[in-house]
Amino acid sequence: MNDVVRLIARSLRTSLRQPAAIIPGFAISVFFLFVYNAGLSSVASLPGFHGSYLDFILPVAIVSAAIGGATLAGEALIRDISSGYFTKLLLTPASRLALIWGPIVAGGMMLVAQVAVIVVLALLMGLGSATGPAGLLVVLAFAFLWGMAFSGFAVFIALRTKNGAATQAATLIFFPLIFLSATFVPKQYITSSWLKVAADINPTTYVFNAMRSVLIDGWQAEPLLVGLAVVLAFATVTGALALWQARKATQLS
Amino acid sequence: MTSPQSSDRSISVEQLSRRFGDLLAVDDVDLQIGSGEIFGFLGPNGAGKSTLVKMLTTILAPSSGRAVVAGFDVRRQQGKARQVIGVALQEVGLDPLMTARELVVLQAQLFGASTGAAGETAGRLLQTVGLADVEPKKRVGEYSGGMKRRLDLALALAHDPQVLFLDEPTTGLDPASRIDIWDEVRRLNSEQGMTIFLTTQYLEEADKLADRVAIIDHGRIVAMGTPAGLKRGLGEEVVELSFETPQDAERAASVLADTAPQRRPGDGGLRCYFPVAAREVPGIVRALDQASIPLRGLTIDKPTLDDVFLRVTGESLRAREESGDGEPLPEAVKR
Repeated sequence: MNDVVRLIARSLRTSLRQPAAIIPGFAISVFFLFVYNAGLSSVASLPGFHGSYLDFILPVAIVSAAIGGATLAGEALIRDISSGYFTKLLLTPASRLALIWGPIVAGGMMLVAQVAVIVVLALLMGLGSATGPAGLLVVLAFAFLWGMAFSGFAVFIALRTKNGAATQAATLIFFPLIFLSATFVPKQYITSSWLKVAADINPTTYVFNAMRSVLIDGWQAEPLLVGLAVVLAFATVTGALALWQARKATQLS
Repeated sequence: MTSPQSSDRSISVEQLSRRFGDLLAVDDVDLQIGSGEIFGFLGPNGAGKSTLVKMLTTILAPSSGRAVVAGFDVRRQQGKARQVIGVALQEVGLDPLMTARELVVLQAQLFGASTGAAGETAGRLLQTVGLADVEPKKRVGEYSGGMKRRLDLALALAHDPQVLFLDEPTTGLDPASRIDIWDEVRRLNSEQGMTIFLTTQYLEEADKLADRVAIIDHGRIVAMGTPAGLKRGLGEEVVELSFETPQDAERAASVLADTAPQRRPGDGGLRCYFPVAAREVPGIVRALDQASIPLRGLTIDKPTLDDVFLRVTGESLRAREESGDGEPLPEAVKR
């Protein structure tokens, strides 16, 4: 357990030494927040829509920031592989789980920091939370878990390909995860039947639902529990893939 | 081996092989290395040295065979084996964004040291490898190649290993840094009794440092013994001839075809092998005189490890290095 903490601390420290790498993901999510809110906020006046559009769109900005967090985690691992430091870590008795948790958890934590800033911006823009500050903490918790799930995937691809460009390309898979969902309008307004089906399959939908429920509707067990189950399942799958690949790294390289 | 003791610093390798697709990188290697020995593994680039080191240090699975280091099977007791093995691979493994001290401290901690002990270890090791005076905030990315190599050695020592693996520790280093590493290897061996497994493509390095040497070529061990024993085992002495021009050397080679049937090109001349060299000198001089080939120098020499290498592989290691297969040793080190 000590190893996990030390490796997370080390991942955070080195990530913070490259502040430039953090900026793009952060800028994109702030961009989402401003532009979609400015351009689409009239959606909120549609009959049947309740709450403010800012509450509705904030989770989209957060999930898009998670892509940035995941990319950071993947890139950090690629950096370690190409510098040879990852091999050095493989030569230590530290558990293989600790080796991949370093970048994955650090990715989640960097995301939380970014999301906190985004939430503050949203509050300045007039964000209201139906569940108050506690609801905002729930939003942060979902962001953390979702960031870790994405990071697990990026770390898996990084270990598998050992290639920075491939890792970046693989994070593009997150775009359908964001946009094939009730991204900009509530699901009842989606007219295309295939997009409705896609939104039902897409795990992100349930994360959006959970975050929106605390921001717009107040405490509701169902969306929170479903959202939590989905995000934990997704994180477990990507984490297991990453661990499997890390164990394989000592067999083949 | 069922009850390994902390004083066991031996390495035992049985029929170890590793295949990459069609390539048999390590082919049926057997080795017994005693506690406290410096063992040199000599071979050209691509001979299988690094593959063997990776298998012995747990990070590459063998295709077949087994290896036990300091009493621990490197496949079935990976965690325990890693705890007693120190490794500096051919490519250094350092995070360029961290400082030297951060790297040594984390390394010691990952091997179980407390924060306080890790800090002390870092101070001591950075002193040992001569990096104590570097600006503490300087990130490793700004270090020179020689500094990185020394820091990598410090990391390999962070947990006081029983057995130290050094994969080509001096390749690419300047002569002064190379001699520093040699001194450090000798010190670790004599003061701490560490068993040291060292690979190299430099004959002089194996000759000067190692108690015993194995020569590896195309994944197979082709000769093993003490450097002196291997040279003596050739049962021969050398007449080294040098000439004014390469053309003279070529002509001499054909003129001496009968007089010196065992010969090869040397540094600007010819090396001819005989059971007793002195007896052959008159014949050589006579033959060259009759062919009017001016001789620049003639020395009687003992065989070198390169001569051994030539005999067991059919090719000179130095010739392979010079054909671009590896880097030649800088002149200054050939002392």
